[in-house]
Amino acid sequence: MDEQQYARTAFLATRSDKVLFALSAAAAVFYFFLLLLYFPIGNRTLFMLLVIGQSFHLWQLLTFIHTVWDTEHEPVAGYVDLSVDVFITVTGEPRSIIEETVRAALAMEYPHTRVYILNDGYVAGKDNWRESVEVARELGAECITRTKKGGAKAGNINNALRQTNAPLIAIFDADHVPHPDFLRKCVRYFADPAMAFVQTPQFYKNAQDSYVSKSAWEQQELFFGPICKGKNRLNAATMCGTNMLVRRAALEEVGGMAEESIAEDFVTGLFLHERSWKSYYLPEVLAEGLAPHDLGSYYKQQFRWARGALDIIFRYNPLFRRGLSWTQKMQYLASASFYFTGLIVAVYASLPLLFFYFGLVPLEIAGMLLASVLLPYLFLTLYTIQLSSNFSYTFNALAFSMAAFNVHIAAIFAAALRRTSAFLVTPKEREGGSAFGYVVPQMLYVALAAAGLIIALEREGLSASVVNNAAWAVMYVVIFATFIRAALPQSSARRLPSLNLSPQIKRVADQARR
Amino acid sequence: MALYQSREAGHGGMFDALILIGLLSFVTALSLLFFADQSLRLDEAQSLWQTSRSPGAILSTVAADVHVPLHHLLLHFWRLLFGEGVEVARALSLILYLFNIPALYLLGRLAYSRSVGIFAATLFAISPFMNWYANEIRMYTLFALLATLNQYFFMRVFKLKDTLAWTPYVFTAILGVFTHYFFFLNLAAQGAFYALYRHLFPNGSRTHLIGTAALIFALFTPWVLYTLLLGEAVYQQPALSSPTTVDFFNTLAEFIFGFQGAQLNTVIVSLWPIALIVAFLALRKNVSLSNESAYFLLILLFSLGTAFVFSVLVRPVFLSRYLIFTIPALYLLLSALLSVYPRPLSRIAKEVTVALMLIALAASALRGASVEEEYRAASAYLAQHAQAHDVIILSPPFTLYPVEYYYRGLAPITTLPQWDRYVAGPIPSFSAETLEEDVAALTESYERVWIVLSFDQGYEEDLRLYFEENYHRIERLDFPSDITILLYRLRYDTQNARAAAM
Repeated sequence: MDEQQYARTAFLATRSDKVLFALSAAAAVFYFFLLLLYFPIGNRTLFMLLVIGQSFHLWQLLTFIHTVWDTEHEPVAGYVDLSVDVFITVTGEPRSIIEETVRAALAMEYPHTRVYILNDGYVAGKDNWRESVEVARELGAECITRTKKGGAKAGNINNALRQTNAPLIAIFDADHVPHPDFLRKCVRYFADPAMAFVQTPQFYKNAQDSYVSKSAWEQQELFFGPICKGKNRLNAATMCGTNMLVRRAALEEVGGMAEESIAEDFVTGLFLHERSWKSYYLPEVLAEGLAPHDLGSYYKQQFRWARGALDIIFRYNPLFRRGLSWTQKMQYLASASFYFTGLIVAVYASLPLLFFYFGLVPLEIAGMLLASVLLPYLFLTLYTIQLSSNFSYTFNALAFSMAAFNVHIAAIFAAALRRTSAFLVTPKEREGGSAFGYVVPQMLYVALAAAGLIIALEREGLSASVVNNAAWAVMYVVIFATFIRAALPQSSARRLPSLNLSPQIKRVADQARR
Repeated sequence: MALYQSREAGHGGMFDALILIGLLSFVTALSLLFFADQSLRLDEAQSLWQTSRSPGAILSTVAADVHVPLHHLLLHFWRLLFGEGVEVARALSLILYLFNIPALYLLGRLAYSRSVGIFAATLFAISPFMNWYANEIRMYTLFALLATLNQYFFMRVFKLKDTLAWTPYVFTAILGVFTHYFFFLNLAAQGAFYALYRHLFPNGSRTHLIGTAALIFALFTPWVLYTLLLGEAVYQQPALSSPTTVDFFNTLAEFIFGFQGAQLNTVIVSLWPIALIVAFLALRKNVSLSNESAYFLLILLFSLGTAFVFSVLVRPVFLSRYLIFTIPALYLLLSALLSVYPRPLSRIAKEVTVALMLIALAASALRGASVEEEYRAASAYLAQHAQAHDVIILSPPFTLYPVEYYYRGLAPITTLPQWDRYVAGPIPSFSAETLEEDVAALTESYERVWIVLSFDQGYEEDLRLYFEENYHRIERLDFPSDITILLYRLRYDTQNARAAAM
């Protein structure tokens, strides 16, 4: 097994240690109650913000533990003979990318398939929209070119739904190349007539191409590893819009893909679960796509995901949807609320600055007492994430999740104010121009922290509070620096060294693969 | 945390040997140039007095002093062989520390890799904390060495399935428990590790562990019975206050940066969020917590945690030097952690760590550490200025050890409360009611009294006020580490006073 094969399997070899999970949860709850009831309050507003932030973290941790408690659930599979329409959604991607995907789709080892290129290039005003027609003709696929605009990717799929008739539909983005065994391995779960969709990982084959693509994939591994696998137990698999197989009847029952949201997949999944359909996340890489190469592409992708996910809270709040079970409601809320992380990070990161400039603190507590409770909680949380993801989670993943706070905040405002956001397909090629515009908030933070430290030192010298807040500020600077680094031109161009897998990880990955 | 199997494991290398020789030379030079000449500290003076007695007397004295006798007996014979000087006695601690450096390298190499072993050995050699105790006439370097060796042999058992390692393991365990009571924490942590990672051990390990425990029980029980029989230990427990979380983090800070001044120490411990960055940066793909790291983590956290909880709930025993045996585990974990960083970052992190520890070491070596007790200077002053018609009163009584070691003057020395070390039983407690009577008895035939105050046991202020209110103070001198000398005139009706008046 080569390194690429290990990369495809290691993140799926999830682990579960219930004692660790319980300890981690206990430490988090213990810290929260001390914070709430025992620690002396400093500035009331900051204290309230701290409590809100900690409530959010507690919610995230507890729902994460609940999700990954058991990641080995698999529904019953059986023999079923259903024909499949393969949809490849295209919106002006380069011809070579489309060709590769179409060839792979045609080569899938399954008898009754018809491959369609769903060509949205024309309505999107792309100059190369005719290329899709040519590719279809040359390779023996069919091309459905939309001429009437609307509904973005969901509209494109729904348009094709009306013109096709196979009971199952495989959907791939233009850059997601299916493996030959994709259908053979996915179709069998549709032996259960209640199965609505089978989702497979959105694996990035170019993860090692650049610093940004590597970090983007490492961020994804936690989601496509333990989180998606854990959702199986709760019948709450997330529909990701590509690399998936859907039952036509189910899709038609909910009116096709949800056109009113830019996260059409996520919302459609919610509608299906609401109507008691089943879902399954098949933890095996059966298609390979492209990660964003540069920070601009990453920013757009994250904004779209965040904006769409937050729609779940602001427009389709699962708490008030009657068909969902409580665990499904929790799962949808947990996934969607992840994008509040940016807001919480911004609040937390501003605490050292508020101390530097105004001397305000949320807690008036001995630093060591705080450390003695906070450090075990944070270390246990980190180890819980690490272990459950088979040690796939990295500093870059953490840093990108935290440092992209400005993306999340922008999405929160857009979702809360119901602003219309365009469906921007993640660029498949490197974008030109400087990416520093995306990291202005992070660079501003570094400057404010440096200036603030000088002011604080001027005000009260090298006191314990100044040192402690400086250490917190340094932590955020280190995290934000990771993101700022991604704006450097070479971060979207450099080829990274290959993985050096340890025997321990290889063994676990091997076991998972078997 | 780190935790890969290195390709280089199992090979020695001239390079490593040269580095180790360099480290040993550095430590020796540092000791000779800076530490060896420092004043004898209270504990050291006590060790010298105790080990100058016969082996039988050593046993009873050490038992009463809440310690175990191996180091004292070793020091006794060491002094018989090589001489009585302070430098000779300190050399024993230094040599044991020097042995510990390659021992730690071996442990690091066995657990991780040569590079981790070398880096951990480097941290150990430049450790301000370790260098401090390497130049103190106490059992702590022997304790650390035995712990390192014991951990090494234990790891050989579970990592290499080397059943021959049981013999040296048992041997070092027995020596360890007779070096310091806290060695039991090391063994308990190993027991916990066995319970959690039983599958790593070769067949028959449980029998070996039970056998080891039984043997230690059989050998140690007589000592416990002997101590109980003497019935003095209960009076000689160290007077410690219940630890707080500040003490816990101070201990970790001391392990890395040694004893620093209060201001600097506050700065160091306030930097604790840096620990989060260190941990975050170690989040790397394919890097998991290895069995070896879990073992060291258990040694460190189990020992510190147990000592802390015991101290809070039962009886205060939380002292950083008692936990010195966890330092090898701490340095190995730190070394392994920094080794998993990306190469340039790893190098920078290691260089920064070494630089910071060297600065701390330099501060410790150049100005002496904050715990320095200048009894030598105080005694020299007394020897020069105290007259035959004076009396010197030391309080608390146990400060007699260092003062009497250095003092070569005309005035007699006594203690308040009065104490005869050769009489079994506890040091008499201070009584405000009998103070006047006690002072009168001690000063009856003298013209002046020198009061030497240090190590406040809670009655220093009472004593000082009594003399301030009843006698005329002539002089006050302060020496490092809160040693205060006060000189009072007791009376004016003496021949000298009359002669002076005429």
